Amino acid sequence: MRILVIEDDPATADYIARGLAQEGQTAEVARTGKDGLFLALSESFDVIVTDRMLPAPDGLAIVRALRASSVMTPVLVLTALGDVERRVEGLDAGADDYLAKPFAFSELYARVRALSRRPAATSTGPTELMVGVLRMDLLRRVVTRSGNVVDLLPTEWRLLEYMLRHPGQVLTRTMLLERVWDFAFDPTTNVVDVHVSRLRRKLEGPNGPALIRTVRGAGYILDA
Amino acid sequence: MPDARRFDGLRRLVRSFALRTSLGIAAAALLLSLVGAGWGWLRAEAALRQELDLVLAGEAEGLIRDYEAIGPQALLDAARVSARRDALLLVLVQTADGQTLAGRMAGAPAALQGYATLRAPGEPPLRALGALLPGGINLLVAASLSAVEDAARALAWTPLIAAIGSGSVALLLGFVGARGLERRLASVSDVAGLVTAGDLSRRLPQSGRGDEFDRLVVTVNAMLIKLEMLVAAQRQVTDDIAHDLRGPLQRLRQGLEEALADRRDDPALALGIAELDAVLETFAALLRIARAEAGAGTRQAIDLSALVTSVAEAYAPVAEEAGRPFLIDVLPGLTLNGDPALLGRMLANLLDNALAHGAGAVRVSLAAGPVLVVADEGPGVPVAERDAVLERFVRLDRSRGTPGTGLGLALVKAAAQAHGGSVVLGPARTGGGGLAVTVDLAAAKRATVEPTQYAL
Repeated sequence: MRILVIEDDPATADYIARGLAQEGQTAEVARTGKDGLFLALSESFDVIVTDRMLPAPDGLAIVRALRASSVMTPVLVLTALGDVERRVEGLDAGADDYLAKPFAFSELYARVRALSRRPAATSTGPTELMVGVLRMDLLRRVVTRSGNVVDLLPTEWRLLEYMLRHPGQVLTRTMLLERVWDFAFDPTTNVVDVHVSRLRRKLEGPNGPALIRTVRGAGYILDA
Repeated sequence: MPDARRFDGLRRLVRSFALRTSLGIAAAALLLSLVGAGWGWLRAEAALRQELDLVLAGEAEGLIRDYEAIGPQALLDAARVSARRDALLLVLVQTADGQTLAGRMAGAPAALQGYATLRAPGEPPLRALGALLPGGINLLVAASLSAVEDAARALAWTPLIAAIGSGSVALLLGFVGARGLERRLASVSDVAGLVTAGDLSRRLPQSGRGDEFDRLVVTVNAMLIKLEMLVAAQRQVTDDIAHDLRGPLQRLRQGLEEALADRRDDPALALGIAELDAVLETFAALLRIARAEAGAGTRQAIDLSALVTSVAEAYAPVAEEAGRPFLIDVLPGLTLNGDPALLGRMLANLLDNALAHGAGAVRVSLAAGPVLVVADEGPGVPVAERDAVLERFVRLDRSRGTPGTGLGLALVKAAAQAHGGSVVLGPARTGGGGLAVTVDLAAAKRATVEPTQYAL
């Protein structure tokens, strides 16, 4: 993956770039909005990570300029503490995801990976999702594991569908809350863990092989 | 329902300033014109009678002069002429003991001296003046009282007509005037309501007449501008803190994270990150409360029923795993104008509290109003501490050992108030026991209705 990082704070830019390099990804860093926009328009990236607060043009202006020039590269906007509620504003501007500072690198990386695999908006997508022994028929609304039908509640269905669309990627609790439940807030109660463990019990049975793996301190992976 | 609304409208009208004022003015006008015109009528009647008496006195005097100059024959001639001609003025000449010498006068008494009113049956009433003349002659002059009494009777209606007329005009003018005043006051109250609900940009309209109301409007608008500036300043401080601290905090966190990556098993570093994250969570919660109190955040039409159902349903398995019965009772189709993220977080905080600090069944209900209630069967909150726990960092002694920032209910309160609502803590059952947190959002719904605009 080739990732453009637009960040005016040198320490944070280095931190993101080094973290991405450690994960085996290529990071290009721009220290100003102007440089960032130029790079984003002239070169090809899989994902763009931009700070929201930049000397003009700021993060949202960059997103708008990119979308106006028909550059549809997924954009993750980094925002100030406690600003998560304002993500609607950023999503309206054309950004694909939002993350509040300070963040854990694992959260950033999980989101970058989820963005990079996102299917293009124009494609109709398959009517069937298949990962390993799991098969989800989106038209007939049936889930099978090794051919055996698994009964899922609506929430469990949405959770599994999201996981099947991002196999082999770490999905954090916050991401699941945002994508599966459409919640822009983190409950202190372990809501996500309970739902995942229920889904896991239904999918794996009492002695079946593990399909959903817990990544300590990060989230969950559906193994591809 | 329509009956109830009509009754409600009637009650409001009865209590209204306009009706009370105009009724008061009308009653005063009615009473004053009744007294004034009544007194006038009495005076007019008295004046008419006096006038008649003067006429009689003049006639009597003329006849007496004739009698003194010519003798009794003058009186007898005058009496005969008046009787023959059926004149307006009656003259009667009689002896002192009442024997008629000439003329005609029904019901004439003997030896009349001075004024008298004669009422003979079947005859028009007469006003008479009698004089005893030398020679045993009693002279009586009289005129019909009918004209005077007819006039007095006709005039008797005037006080009543005047009172009813002026009363109804006063009622009408008073009602129109007071209604205008009431409308101007209503527009002040509408704007104040919207400002309270969070729309600080509202201003009262001026009529341009430069009257007392315009002066009030100018003062109130100046107050609103000041209020908006203060809130904007508070919001700016909050935003500045959020923006200025995120850089250092981000570097601190990434420094710790990188150090932890180098020395995988250093428990002190892991603990440092956990502590920092707890501080950041508290900090973020404080910022959210400050933003909610400042009325920041989006306002959009929300299906509150759907939002409550979706948050509650997310929690249902959590309660089930904890062995706690979980009941959701949501009236569908309730909407309001608000901030969905803030309201969702508000309900999540209430459910977090009920699961962490409460006990037994958890009940989530949304009823018309809209009124949201989250109740549990735990030990509840002592009456004396119910207001305190809605403040920042206030926790009950028994909760100190459990995780939490002490900001959950403060955010609930700020979120409710940001939507013009209120939060009340009470027992879950009548007679005490359990905890029911009631969030009344009725005002938030009203705030979506545009106020009627009147020029002030």
